[in-house]
Amino acid sequence: MILAWKEIKNNKAKFSIVGSIILLISLLTFIISGLANGLSQDNMSLIKNFPDGTFYMAEDSNNSYAQSRIDEKKQMQLLENGGDSFAFSLQMGNLKIDSNKQKNVSLMTYTDNKYYQNIDNGEIVLDHSLKKEGIKAGDQLSFRQSENSFEVAGFVDDARFNHSPVVLINQKDFNNLFRTQAFQIVFSPISNKDIDGLNAYSNSEFLNTIPSYQAEQMTLNMIVWFLIIISGMLFAIFFYMMNVQKLGMYGILKALGIRTNTLYTMIWTQMGIITVSALISSALLSQVFQSIAPTSMPYSLPLTSTIQLSILFIVVGFMGATLSGIQIKRIDPLQAIQQGEA
Amino acid sequence: MSQLQLEQVRKSFMNGEVEEEVLKGVNLTLNKGEVTALIGSSGSGKSTILSIAASLQPLSKGRIIFDHQNLVELKPEQIRKIRAQQYGFVFQQSHLVPFLTVEEQLSLMLDIAEVKGSKYDKQNEIKNVLEKVEMTHRQSAYPASLSGGEKQRIAVARAIIHRPKVLFADEPTASLDSKKSNDIMQLIQELTHSLEMMTLIVTHEEEMLEYTDRVVKMSDGEIIMVN
Repeated sequence: MILAWKEIKNNKAKFSIVGSIILLISLLTFIISGLANGLSQDNMSLIKNFPDGTFYMAEDSNNSYAQSRIDEKKQMQLLENGGDSFAFSLQMGNLKIDSNKQKNVSLMTYTDNKYYQNIDNGEIVLDHSLKKEGIKAGDQLSFRQSENSFEVAGFVDDARFNHSPVVLINQKDFNNLFRTQAFQIVFSPISNKDIDGLNAYSNSEFLNTIPSYQAEQMTLNMIVWFLIIISGMLFAIFFYMMNVQKLGMYGILKALGIRTNTLYTMIWTQMGIITVSALISSALLSQVFQSIAPTSMPYSLPLTSTIQLSILFIVVGFMGATLSGIQIKRIDPLQAIQQGEA
Repeated sequence: MSQLQLEQVRKSFMNGEVEEEVLKGVNLTLNKGEVTALIGSSGSGKSTILSIAASLQPLSKGRIIFDHQNLVELKPEQIRKIRAQQYGFVFQQSHLVPFLTVEEQLSLMLDIAEVKGSKYDKQNEIKNVLEKVEMTHRQSAYPASLSGGEKQRIAVARAIIHRPKVLFADEPTASLDSKKSNDIMQLIQELTHSLEMMTLIVTHEEEMLEYTDRVVKMSDGEIIMVN
């Protein structure tokens, strides 16, 4: 431990360079992870806020909610037996904010349930993000799909779908707007139960049926994982390079009788000091980034994600450093003595 | 009486498909309080003897008896422990840890040898040893700021701080000038006598033999003369 610290103290420049690179990689990982999480919230907060349960879509829907039409009998069967189950539909629409401005929105309608308030005919409830457009309760708004106007009855938090604010609307008005009768999805808070003619999905499975969500998250998560793997390799390479320079010294210490474990502890301690310092700095910087990022940028990095990623970095760093330390076990003290000054 | 004995030690290497024997049944005994010098021409096997005696490389045949046990039969961890606690080493070059001060080098050796005692006791031991090698004034210095002779004095201090029974020195004066070489050899001889160590020195400098108690001459893997 002391040996590790003494070396860092005496080789500040060398260890600072390693630390800075780990800091930059972890900061980039935190930022991309924050963006992935932010985009995920912006894309699917409506679905992510559902309680755990099962989503049902028609078997012939090709796993696409847009193509799903739930048979009325099966819907009744599920709603009657499924406790707090409810059916719902989603469609994209255009909300006219004023005569010159329209906004893409996702319209959602549903059967009576305990999770969403009932909406009266001629009324709509909007995601709170639409307040930024100057909309307030009591305003009369219309959709491009219809000349009828609707009164804004209130706002809900975190209701976004397909990167659009969600508009909750009465079933009858929804049917008039989109000339449809059947619901697309049934949600049941009860765990997966097979229904003939319907496909059942868990919350995460349902999210993955939505193409934009899957493609977006897969890309960003792949980047995050690549960065983590790269950082592990960097650890292994850096410690390998440093170990190669110190093989002579390690060999002499082994000749003097030092335990190999003591040398491993030295490497692990150095890895720990560098990684933890770099991670603390990058976590703080990522929080600063969160506070200065433009509001239009969907960025959200919760503390739990930061801690999880940090633990992952430490585990990967530990593995990288250990891998580089294999050569310590193989050092021949005699060779080190014959090679000259450590 | 404590001794280190090499009995019928043989060492051979494979050179391609040909087996080369570099030690041909060497018998050697190191005695307490005595400096034994190994001399001989290059390739005579003197450095091989030292490294085998110090358990730094395995032998092909024979026995090494130390403290009534045959070291050849011990496990690597037991050998490591003997090296750490019972042996001291001085190499051709000082091989000090570059990022530790003189005091820390000695403290590290006490840790490696697992010497028991309070921090105060260890500090006292470091002070005593530095006095013995006349390096008290350099206890906070890093190796980079020491001269060649000073480095070698610290290497000697490191080799004896844990009071080893055997001191192995492989050409300890090879990188020093004549004056410093004499100083180091005198120091090793004095410490061997005062601490009653068994010291084995490999050297090719004949003028250093005046600081030894016994001279063993080797040629072609065999001992040809003992003085």
